[in-house]
Amino acid sequence: MSANNSSSAPKRISSVEMKNIVKRFPGVLANTDVNFDVRAGEVHALLGENGAGKSTLMRQLYGLYKPNEGEILVDGRPVVFNSPADAIKAGIGMIHQHFMLIPTLTVTENVALGLTSSREPMLDLDVVEKKILELSKAYGLKVDPSAYIWQLSVGEQQRVEIIKALYRNAGIIILDEPTAVLTPQEVNDLFATLRKIIAEGHGFVFISHKLHEVMAICDRVSVLRDGAMIGTRSMEGVTREDLVKMMVGREMKTLPHQDHKEGEVRLKIKGLRAIGDRNTETLCGVDLEIRSGEILGIAGVSGNGQRELAQCLTGLRKSSAGTIFLDGDEITHMPLLKRMEAGQAYIPEERMQDGAIREFSVQENLFLRDHAAPENTHGIFLNFKRMSERTAEVVKQYNVKTPTIETPIKNLSGGNIQKLILARELSRKPKFLIAAQPTRGVDIGATEYIHQRLLEQRDSGTAILLISEDLDETRSLSDRIAVMYEGKIVGIVGRDGATVEQIGLMMAGISMEEAMKG
Amino acid sequence: MEEIFSQAVLIGIITSAIRLATPYIFASIGEAFSQSSGVVNLGVDGIMLVGAFVAYYITLTTGNLWLAVLGAVIIGLLMGLLMSFISVTMRAEQGISGIGLYMFGLGLSSLLFKVLVGSVQTIEGFHEMDIPGLSTIPVIGEIFFRNSLPVYVAFLLIPVAWWFLEKTTWGLMIRAVGQNPAAADSLGVNVNRVRYFSVCFGAIMASLAGASLSTALVNLFQENLTAGLGFIAVALVYFGGWKPVGILIGALLFSTVNAFQLWMQVLGVNIPSDVAVMLPYLLTIVALVAVTSRIRPPAALNKPFDRGEN
Amino acid sequence: MKKSNLFSVLSVLFVLALMISACAPAAPATEAPVAEAPAAEAPAAEAPAAEEPVAPAEPFKVAVIMPSATTDMAFSQSMYSALVAVQTEMGGESAMVIQYSENMFKVPDAAAAIRDYASQGFDLVIAHGSQYGSSVEEIAKDFPETAFAWGTDVNTFGLPNVYAYTAAAQEGGYVNGVMAAMLTQGKQIGVTGPVEVGDAKTYIDGFVQGVASVDPAISVNKTWTGSFSDVALMTEAAKTHIAAGADVLTGSSQSVAGSIGAAKENGAVLWFGTQSDQAPLAESLVVASQVYDWTAMIKQIIANKAEGKLGGETFTLQLSNDGLKIAFNAGYALPAEVKAAADAAIEGIKSGSIVVEP
Repeated sequence: MSANNSSSAPKRISSVEMKNIVKRFPGVLANTDVNFDVRAGEVHALLGENGAGKSTLMRQLYGLYKPNEGEILVDGRPVVFNSPADAIKAGIGMIHQHFMLIPTLTVTENVALGLTSSREPMLDLDVVEKKILELSKAYGLKVDPSAYIWQLSVGEQQRVEIIKALYRNAGIIILDEPTAVLTPQEVNDLFATLRKIIAEGHGFVFISHKLHEVMAICDRVSVLRDGAMIGTRSMEGVTREDLVKMMVGREMKTLPHQDHKEGEVRLKIKGLRAIGDRNTETLCGVDLEIRSGEILGIAGVSGNGQRELAQCLTGLRKSSAGTIFLDGDEITHMPLLKRMEAGQAYIPEERMQDGAIREFSVQENLFLRDHAAPENTHGIFLNFKRMSERTAEVVKQYNVKTPTIETPIKNLSGGNIQKLILARELSRKPKFLIAAQPTRGVDIGATEYIHQRLLEQRDSGTAILLISEDLDETRSLSDRIAVMYEGKIVGIVGRDGATVEQIGLMMAGISMEEAMKG
Repeated sequence: MEEIFSQAVLIGIITSAIRLATPYIFASIGEAFSQSSGVVNLGVDGIMLVGAFVAYYITLTTGNLWLAVLGAVIIGLLMGLLMSFISVTMRAEQGISGIGLYMFGLGLSSLLFKVLVGSVQTIEGFHEMDIPGLSTIPVIGEIFFRNSLPVYVAFLLIPVAWWFLEKTTWGLMIRAVGQNPAAADSLGVNVNRVRYFSVCFGAIMASLAGASLSTALVNLFQENLTAGLGFIAVALVYFGGWKPVGILIGALLFSTVNAFQLWMQVLGVNIPSDVAVMLPYLLTIVALVAVTSRIRPPAALNKPFDRGEN
Repeated sequence: MKKSNLFSVLSVLFVLALMISACAPAAPATEAPVAEAPAAEAPAAEAPAAEEPVAPAEPFKVAVIMPSATTDMAFSQSMYSALVAVQTEMGGESAMVIQYSENMFKVPDAAAAIRDYASQGFDLVIAHGSQYGSSVEEIAKDFPETAFAWGTDVNTFGLPNVYAYTAAAQEGGYVNGVMAAMLTQGKQIGVTGPVEVGDAKTYIDGFVQGVASVDPAISVNKTWTGSFSDVALMTEAAKTHIAAGADVLTGSSQSVAGSIGAAKENGAVLWFGTQSDQAPLAESLVVASQVYDWTAMIKQIIANKAEGKLGGETFTLQLSNDGLKIAFNAGYALPAEVKAAADAAIEGIKSGSIVVEP
């Protein structure tokens, strides 16, 4: 355990090397003969699509998994990590995509967890707090040590994670998708902090799939594809297209944006209010109009009411005030099934929770909604022949990769599950589609496919509400962008009406007027 | 009705309440440890029965109360190891394994009692121990300092448990593991070891709760001696919001109302006995409803931990 | 691999738990063959006894279903002891077979046991608990050749093969009350009990009348705990009585042992028992116990069977028919005048000169 309170910190490590790493999971080869290294003073990007094996590789470096083959060297010496405790002791830190913080404990308690106290068995929280304040000052990581985690913003929580690693004298720190939950401004702050820490002689691994961020902060880049290392190169002279090609193995078409033919108003929301899970008002009077043949994107940091908005629109959550009209008919209090009959479709945010049943087969999931439709039944019995024909058709048409249509859906990759849900929802030819985080956790290939389908759907006249935390996605697909902050629409801009920075300011709650000035 | 509020009666009620609260405190504090680490152990009642029998039987045959306590600790530890093996190592559904453990304890203690003892026999248990000096203080001394050893230990357990959970590195680990085991694991905390420790400690306390019943409170054993007391102890953990002081308040509230209704009956206050008997439970439910909104259970309660490698 | 392991461990634990809880009520008893449940392996119950040509007289077969243990020092034990006494008198196992199911506090389980015994050809099935009444009514119709007895109640449902039995517990209660009133110094007596029903209630009603007959100024305070098994609360109730000044206690329950424990701890408190002789629990404290003696009733039922009568009658244990007895504890030095008063009360009740209201 690191001697957290000794004034003379032990020497910090300066390099980590992974050699010929092989990691197998039952039925899956997650890493095949991977070499990877990172040195103090650099940010080394680890790039790859979802499921390419990035997290698996780093989890082995942090002692969470044990490699089946290969070795790990720290400062040239071979090491074996049986648990994160060993990796921490060796000087490696990891900041997970989902923060590893305990909301009910204070910042200081979170940092002290697992450390040997100077007053065993008593905690020495005062000592820890003092050192947190030192670190906070030295690296510009502003936090209040006595605050509880649940009181902190996402950005602050991330700073706590960084302090946890620094406190344990980590020389090499792994950042797993660190920007996924941040506003553009917070990303800038994070990068500034990282530069300061690098200057002090630490090194970072930066796991990401956002190319412009990799280009902005990294010194070297390694790309994983299907568990294998495609290559490592210095960022100098590397273009975005080079990286994409390395990631997917082919060139990607950037979506040519076609202008849409705007129709009449399909969906009209007036003064919508709702109470969230924590018993506070999370929708505070939302007004929106979505027209036929239009994609309206909602931008915003997660937790600003997007989820509740989608739920109110689908009928999964009761609104406390306001009205919703679909094609001029009020649907505010209409139950879910009726709304579907009225021509509404929904691609849910939590696809495994709300969109599909894990243990059910591909076919069963495809017919979850429409199994009772006349064409799928003989009287009170299901028409299995027709259903399996239809499933085979859809699987082919939507390019769903599945061994058989009887395979439980839990065995499919995120992208393929999402394609299946998309197929189910779009086959209903909806008038109005809610797409919540349609490509989260989905690989680039499938993302591209889903985007195309959404645009096609738009062109056929469907009104689409797109809710995404990926600003790039929102900007490339939407015809108009509504920015949400604390349950309100801060402003609505046309697709080219505002810069990323301006939208970022609005996402942080700055009024549209102010943001546009900046 | 006035009689109810005379000094003698009030002292009587509080003395009774303190005695009655003793097994609840042991069992609930133990269960709070177990639950704080994320493991619901519904087998408390079964462990209590086994602990109660072992302590009783050792006292009956050897007359040595210290040996009886040691026996209860050992059997509690064994039951705790069994529960942790099933729920932590094998990651079984905790509710079901707890009920299984309860049935096991109920059956085992009944069987052993039948075979080894047969019929009801009383024993010489822990006697009341006046604390020199303190016990002569009027009122206070009478209430607090003329009790048997297990009663003192139970009440000392409250600050010790609080200190351990809030002020030690192990306490921090227990709380962390119950809230977010993955986070604790990522900081090198051995999640399973912490849970084994907490479940075993909880089981030892449950066993001692049983022992306090059979060797200090009623000085005998019979089949199903606890009569579901262990389940109330589990409920008190929720009531107390997983905090030792909250548990103390809950246990005292429950036992005070129980003592109060006994005194009401003794003094001939004219209400139907069924209503009197219902009072403690009714009050518990009302109080639970009242405090339930501020209760925040350990987030990982009832969730086995798996790093996800296999 | 995880799943299967988990299941095997769970199932092993469950089987173990079930085994143990199933075995528990079937501990070896010395006097009688025992069955945990009336399972097929019941040794003496293979075939209707009539087919046994060599045996001089086929044994009379009795099965009894009890809500608590045969060793409860109270209700269940009173019946079990009576059966064993009759068996010994008749000449042991060759003359009479006893099988029992104890701790049948769940009525559906008890009903299943009653039916099983009946279908195995037992001559007499005793359902020893007032909660079993409706089960007996239903099952007895299906087995007209079998005699059933149940109590405590007076209802035979108009069936020719059902006996009901009850105890005039108020009579012994009265006698105990007379003694208690003469022995209390502080003029205060405490009563503990589980639930205010059945013979628990009639015993105490009689007790109160007995006390009043000696000195109406003595207060008798009652507490009911609402549970037949919560010994901790029962003990605390007794302690509460003692703290409130009671120096004589009585009670009427299967879990009365806790009260005796409390009395014993205090040392100066006297106890009166009922249902069974409770002197062994605290030799120096128990003054006397009202004892239920079912032997006469059992013998009558056996005799009736020989004459072809299977039921339709209600038995009431009374002092006058020796179904109720007062067992004075030899270990307690009862003052002569108290003993004399008790004897007078017994005689008075027997002769009808004292009438105790139930």
